[in-house]
Formats: sequence, structure tokens, C-alpha cells
Amino acid sequence: MFKYVIKRIVYFIPTLAIIALVTFALSKMAPGDPVKLALGNKDTGGEAGQAAEKIASEKAYAAMAEKMGLHLPAFYFSITTGAVPDTIYRYIKRSERETLLRLIDQYGNWEAIEQYYRNIRRLQYSIYEVKQDSSTYQPGRILLSQINQLFQLYRDQEIIASISSMQLAAQQSPAFAEVKNRIFELESSYRKVKSEATPFKNYIPAFHFYGINNQFHRWLFGDKPWFFGEDKPGQSAGFLRGDFGFSYTDKRPVWSKMKDALPWTLLLNFISILLAYTIAIPLGVMSARYKGSTMDNVSTFTLFLLNSLPVFWVATLLIMFFTTPEYGMNWFPNYGLGEVTSDMNWLDIFIERGAHLVLPVFCLTYGSWAYLSRQMRGGVLAVFRQDYIRTARAKGLPESRVVWKHAFRNSLIPIITIFASIFPAAIAGSFVIENIFAIPGMGKLSYEALFARDYPLVFTVMLLSAILTLIGNLVADILYAVVDPRISFSK
Amino acid sequence: MSKLSQTRQADDQSYWAVVRRQFMKNRMAVWSLRFVYVIIVVGVLADFLANDLPIACGYKGKTYLPVLNSYGVSLGISKWPPELANVDWHQLSYDWALLPPVPYSPQYMDNNNSGFKAPFGKEQVVPSFRFTHFLGTDKLGRDVLSGMIHGTRVAMLVGIISMSIAMVIGILLGSMAGYFGDARMKMSRIRLWLNIVFFFLAIYYAFIVRSYTLSDALSVSVGGFLLQLLISLLIFTAIMALANLLVIPLKRIPFLRTQVNIPMDILISRLIEVKVSVPTLLLILSICAIMSKPSIFITMIVIGFLGWTGIAKYVRAELLRVRSLEYIEAAQALGLSEWRIILRHAIPNSLTSVLITVAFGVAGAILTESTLSFLGIGVAPEQVTWGSLLSSARSDASAWWLAVFPGMAIFITVTVFNLLGEGLTDAMDPRLKQ
Repeated sequence: MFKYVIKRIVYFIPTLAIIALVTFALSKMAPGDPVKLALGNKDTGGEAGQAAEKIASEKAYAAMAEKMGLHLPAFYFSITTGAVPDTIYRYIKRSERETLLRLIDQYGNWEAIEQYYRNIRRLQYSIYEVKQDSSTYQPGRILLSQINQLFQLYRDQEIIASISSMQLAAQQSPAFAEVKNRIFELESSYRKVKSEATPFKNYIPAFHFYGINNQFHRWLFGDKPWFFGEDKPGQSAGFLRGDFGFSYTDKRPVWSKMKDALPWTLLLNFISILLAYTIAIPLGVMSARYKGSTMDNVSTFTLFLLNSLPVFWVATLLIMFFTTPEYGMNWFPNYGLGEVTSDMNWLDIFIERGAHLVLPVFCLTYGSWAYLSRQMRGGVLAVFRQDYIRTARAKGLPESRVVWKHAFRNSLIPIITIFASIFPAAIAGSFVIENIFAIPGMGKLSYEALFARDYPLVFTVMLLSAILTLIGNLVADILYAVVDPRISFSK
Repeated sequence: MSKLSQTRQADDQSYWAVVRRQFMKNRMAVWSLRFVYVIIVVGVLADFLANDLPIACGYKGKTYLPVLNSYGVSLGISKWPPELANVDWHQLSYDWALLPPVPYSPQYMDNNNSGFKAPFGKEQVVPSFRFTHFLGTDKLGRDVLSGMIHGTRVAMLVGIISMSIAMVIGILLGSMAGYFGDARMKMSRIRLWLNIVFFFLAIYYAFIVRSYTLSDALSVSVGGFLLQLLISLLIFTAIMALANLLVIPLKRIPFLRTQVNIPMDILISRLIEVKVSVPTLLLILSICAIMSKPSIFITMIVIGFLGWTGIAKYVRAELLRVRSLEYIEAAQALGLSEWRIILRHAIPNSLTSVLITVAFGVAGAILTESTLSFLGIGVAPEQVTWGSLLSSARSDASAWWLAVFPGMAIFITVTVFNLLGEGLTDAMDPRLKQ
């Protein structure tokens, strides 16, 4: 048994590694610039003549990127085309890096492209350094908008159009002499990119190894020392040590946000699981005992329908008919969990919360209740076919004793496995229910995070529930052996 | 006894005939099957059932077939005649017109009836009874019945597309795990090595080098993307074929010829475990959320790619049983190749039971898709589905018809497929066989 558990836990490692990889890959593929999100989506532009501010905002960007660990290569290694340099990750800004990769994909000569990009940056700073006055204001704005666009352009015509419109604007004032030189430099370096193109390099695969100092490693294992050594500020402990990073939207640690949401989800699920089991088990047993009776037929049919009743439909209908005065059945409060003030006694709190919980708990319960009853009925029926039940009946035991003492215990096994699968569901929360009823639990938290593109939270929930599912499956298998002594894992 | 009746009797004892007979005895299941036909007919004919465009009309002395013409236009093989290009079909004065039963497209906003008009309600402002919104309208004045009809097409496509993908992956992986097990998949060392190395090369040339071509195509249209994807897959196949051709000469070297064992069952079971332990809805949601341009087809494909585990488990269990049957041994003794045995002899024997999982799988896929569109993820805003109709009911509590009808459609469809699954399970249960 012990050996079996150890073996299963060892099997977890590759499974978890794959899940962590998938989660990480998804978070990398997600659109949007995480640093910009974390900085509150402020535009890093500025007016001409404000070079200092521009530099400050660039610095803030770099600092935030470093805090989030985005200055590191993404993974232990990368497989790219031969034209892509192994240092491409140093271009932290996602939009810039993507433009560079596009240019590399077209022309394949990194040195020339890097020079071209450096010239864009130089030109940008030279524009920022021009003093603002009435003659430079209008052309300066054109220049700025063009140069900020140029960072994202990779199509030949668009780049040429942008450069020539900058040349036009720069001619409007003598203050742009320096800018004009820079534009000339930029144009010649772009011409060089095109004339010395080596696109064949894109067809040679290249392998770069980066070592453990990378984003994935930092996310999963952290860069804090494990046992001894000084912690430095800004280091992360990593997912495995319970550091889930911080949310992009309000910069709170993911863990603290989850801690606020978790109790509600647990409460909801606790009540609903309890209800489901206490109703489903007797119902399943009774309906198996009186198989073929009207009661059995009706309950089987009802449970079947309940099983395929979409939960969001039921929730919408309940909200529509029982929480609004529209149809004269305004019996329940519609959204949230109610307000609890300090002068309420426990009974008032109970009534207030209870009234808000009735509908969501019902929606959460009926599905698993139907499922459990059907399973229980099937389990008991399967046990009824066994010889020892016939023996029990033959020796004259009353039917209730046969059912509850002999059949019931052995038919509990499938029910136990289901419990193990319900366990992780409790953490992920019910996405739909919590959203419809506006309950601030895990489901609503991750749904809102998904819409706000707050991926640290989304992927933490995902990985955590994957881990819990694995543990749940293991617990189920162990419980199997505990409940049923015939099952043995030691060979 | 005549020869004819003898063969008929033999026919009746075949496995399919027994299953069919058992299935036909189940009244609920038979009715469910009929309902599935209705869904398919409504889904296929949706454009003829609910459309702004007349099925046929006479306009300025000429006869047109606008619905058929619109198919031609969207396929790019025909054009609108100039007098019908960019017209509001509801404002045209036809000489005569054969309108569809529901003369509205799901997207058409009837400005006279915007703001939640109830079914048959007297407040509806329509030119004649023919134009009544029989199931009411939504906030923008869009016809609910038309949305329901076109939603049927979406549901049908969800079932077909996602289940075909899930079936291909599930049957392939499940049969490999079940048939080969942990000990029967043997290949020469060189074949294994070359396949691994060339697999990465194939991924590289088919997908990494072409990644921008693919993503640009996706941002333009799904059709173009599928074409580019096909090219990528062809490159992939060609490179893998090259690897296996290279094996033939290299196999002469004794060291490279040594057979190695591949534990297929462990590998695939692990893959299933990985898939099962990630919360599916959250995974689908995050994949759909990272798509820059939501499209119902991508959602269907994602549901398919994540829905194969049930089928794979089933096929694996079936093939574990089938592979030790005598006729498989006979096929092996005849020297048939392993793949031929799997594809021609083992899988067909397990297909009947795959049908059960497919029936339940369609129900699950439709449910998942409607949950997604209810939450507003993975569907373009202009796309009308049952789920999106239902979610619009949340903005006005008095619009009960928006909640009741689409929800009913989802519920009935899901129930029907579940009943089909149950019916098939009962029909194939060996205990019932005489």
C-alpha cells in the first residue's frame, strides 16, 4: 500500500510538469503586454521636449518588468530560426520584440535589423529633446506619433511611408536639424536591412540554452535560496513554495485575493455537497429497493431530466421569476450575499445570508444530486445481483436489514470516488453560478481575472485545481482500498 | 425453408441487427433519434427557414432566388445583380415574393420592435401578421425565433465538428494504448530515433517557420487559416514520411536494427490523466480568451481538441478486450501488419460502443458551447447562439421569452442526446442479448 502511494506520487511529477508547461505556455501566448497592464495601461508617450519624462517612464517600465521577472529568457532553452539571436529576450517590450521577430522573419540579418532599431530609438530621443515652441509644436507631434508607430511597423510600404512623412515634418522648422540627420541615418540603415537580407537563415533551426535563470524556473521554483543564503528584495519564492505572484489589476498578492474568495466557495460547496449526499443516498437506495415501482420510474425519469438541465438556464429562470417583482414571486434577494452590519445578532445574520444562499445552493446541488442518486441506484442494483445478498434473503433476514446492512455498504464505493472529484471542483468554484448570483468566490474571481487579462490569477487557479484533482484521484484510490478490503494495491 | 428466409434469419442474428432491434424497442430513444433528424434538417435549412432574403422573388420584372444567390456570393462564385446589391430587403417593393417562414435574419434589427417585445404581443408594430415576431424580440429588435433557428445550426455544427475532432484523436490514441499495451509496440532503434528527431524538424518547418503565415491567415479568415494549416500539415507529413523512408537503408546496420519497446499504454494513459486533471471549462475559457478575434469555429475546434479523453478511455478498454480475441490472433498469424489489424479488424469491432460516448459527447459539447456563449467568451458579438440569446435575458427581467425558449432548446437537445446515449447503452448491453 505504502509502495503504491509512493509510486503514484512519483507519477505525479511528469503529469504536473506537463500541466505547468501548458499553463505557462498559455500565459505566454496570451495577448497584451503584462507590464503595461501592471503599470495601469498608461501610455508611455509624452510631448516633444519632455525627454526626461520619457526616460523616466522607460525606466519605470524596465523596473516593473524586472519585478515581474520578464527581463529573463522565457524558458530553459529556445528553438528558433537561425536568424533569431539568443538575446532577443532582452527586448522586454512585447510589441517591440514581436516587430523585431517579424523583421527577422522577412530579412534574416539580425545585425542590420538591430542597427535599424537602435536608430529608431536614437531618433525618438532626438525628437524628445527638441524644445517646444510655436514652430515646432505641430511637426513635433507628427514626428512623435510616427516614431512611436515605427516601433510596431514591419511591412515595407508602411515603414517607407512613415519615414518619408517624418522627413516632410522635419523640414518645417530649423530646430529639427539634428532630427533630420537621425532620419537620414535611419533611412540608410533600413535600406541596409533590405539590401543585405539573408532570409535563408530562417530555414536553419537554432537551439539556444539559457540555464535555470529563466521565467519558467522563476515562476515555478522561485529564485530565492531554498535553504540558506540571504533573500534579496524582489526575489520570488516560486509557485511550489506558495508564492503565486501578484495580480496585475490591483498588485495584491494572488494568494491574498484567493484567501478572500475561498471561504465563500467552500461554504457554498460544503452546503451543496452535504445536501446532495443526504438526499441522493437514501433516494438512490430506495429507488433501487423498489425497482420498477412508480416511485422508481418517476424518480429515475426526473433525475435524468435534472441531469441534463443546463445550470445557467435554471439560474437565469430562478433569478427572473423568484427575485423580481415582475411575476409576483419576489421571494428571494437576487444578487450577492447580503450586507451584515455590526448591530445584527447571529439569527439576523443567518437569515440574511441564508436567504441569499438558497438559490445558488439549489443550482449547485441539483446536478450532483441527480448524478449521485443515479450512481447510487446503479451501485445498489449491482450489489443486489451478488450471491451473498441472495444468501442473506434466503436465511430470512428482513429486507430492510438486507438493504442497509449488506447491500448499502458495498454500494458506497462508487460514491466515494465521486466525492474525490468534487473536492477540486470546490476550489475552482462554480464559474457560472458564482457569476450569475454575483457571489465573490473563486469562480467569479477567476472569471473576472480572465476578462481583465489578469493571468497570474487565472493560471494559479488552473494549476492548483489540477494538483487538487490529482490528489483527489489518489485519495479516491486509497479510500477504495480502505472501504473494500478485497482491493489491494500490494501486487 | 427457402434459402432467402435462411439468409434473413442469419442477418437478424448479426450484432448490428440485435443492437438495432433492442434500440427500436426503446421508445424514448427512437423519438430522440427522430428529434436529432429534426435538428439536422433545421440546421441545414436555417437560411431557408429564417432570413431577410426571400427564397424567390420577382423584382422590377425579373425573377431572383436571393437565398441561393447569397450562398453563391459568400462562396465567391457569383455576384449580386446591381439593383440588389446592398439593399434593405425589408424595404424593397417586390412584384411577388416567396418569403421564408420567418422573414427575419437573426442579425436584423427591427427598429419598430426594439426593446423586448413579447411574443404575439399587441405592442408589436408589424406590417402584417406574416411579419409577427412569434417568439418576441430582444433589446435591439432582433427576432428570437430566427435566432433560435440559426442557433440550431450552431449547435449542430458544434456537435459535428467538435465530435469529429474528438473522435479522430480519441480513437487513434485509445486504440494505440489498448492494442499495443505496454509491451507490444516494438520498433527498431533507428526508427525510433529518426522519428523523434524528424518530429521536431517537422514541427519546426511546418509550424515555427510558418508561424507568421499561419497567424496572419487566421486574422483574415478561418477558411484561409484552414488552408494554410493544411499546407503545414502536408509539410509535416512529408518530413515524417522522409524519416521513415530513411529508416529502410539504415536498418541494415545491426546495432540500429535492434528492436526497442515503447510503453504506449503508460504514455497515453499519462496524457489522459494530464488532460483530465485540468479543469476543462477554465482551460477552454483561457484558450478562447487569448484568441484575438473570437470565432465560433475556433471554439468548436478547441472543444473537440479537449474532448477526446472519454472516447480514448472507452476505445482503450474495448481494444484491451478485443486484442486477445481469436480472430485478432488469426490475423496476426496470417502476417497482417499491426496497423492493418488495428484499422481494419480491431477498431470496427469497438465502433459500436464508441457511438455511446459520441452521443454523450455531443450533449456535453453543446452544453459547453452554450455555457461559453452564455458567458460571452469565444463567440463574436454578432453571432447568435442559444447561449447568447439566453444571456441577453439577464438584462431585462420582464423578457421571460428570452430565457425560456433558448434554454428550452438547449435543454431538449442535451436531453435528446443523453437519451440516445442511454438507449444505445441499453441496446448494446450484452446481458440483454439472447
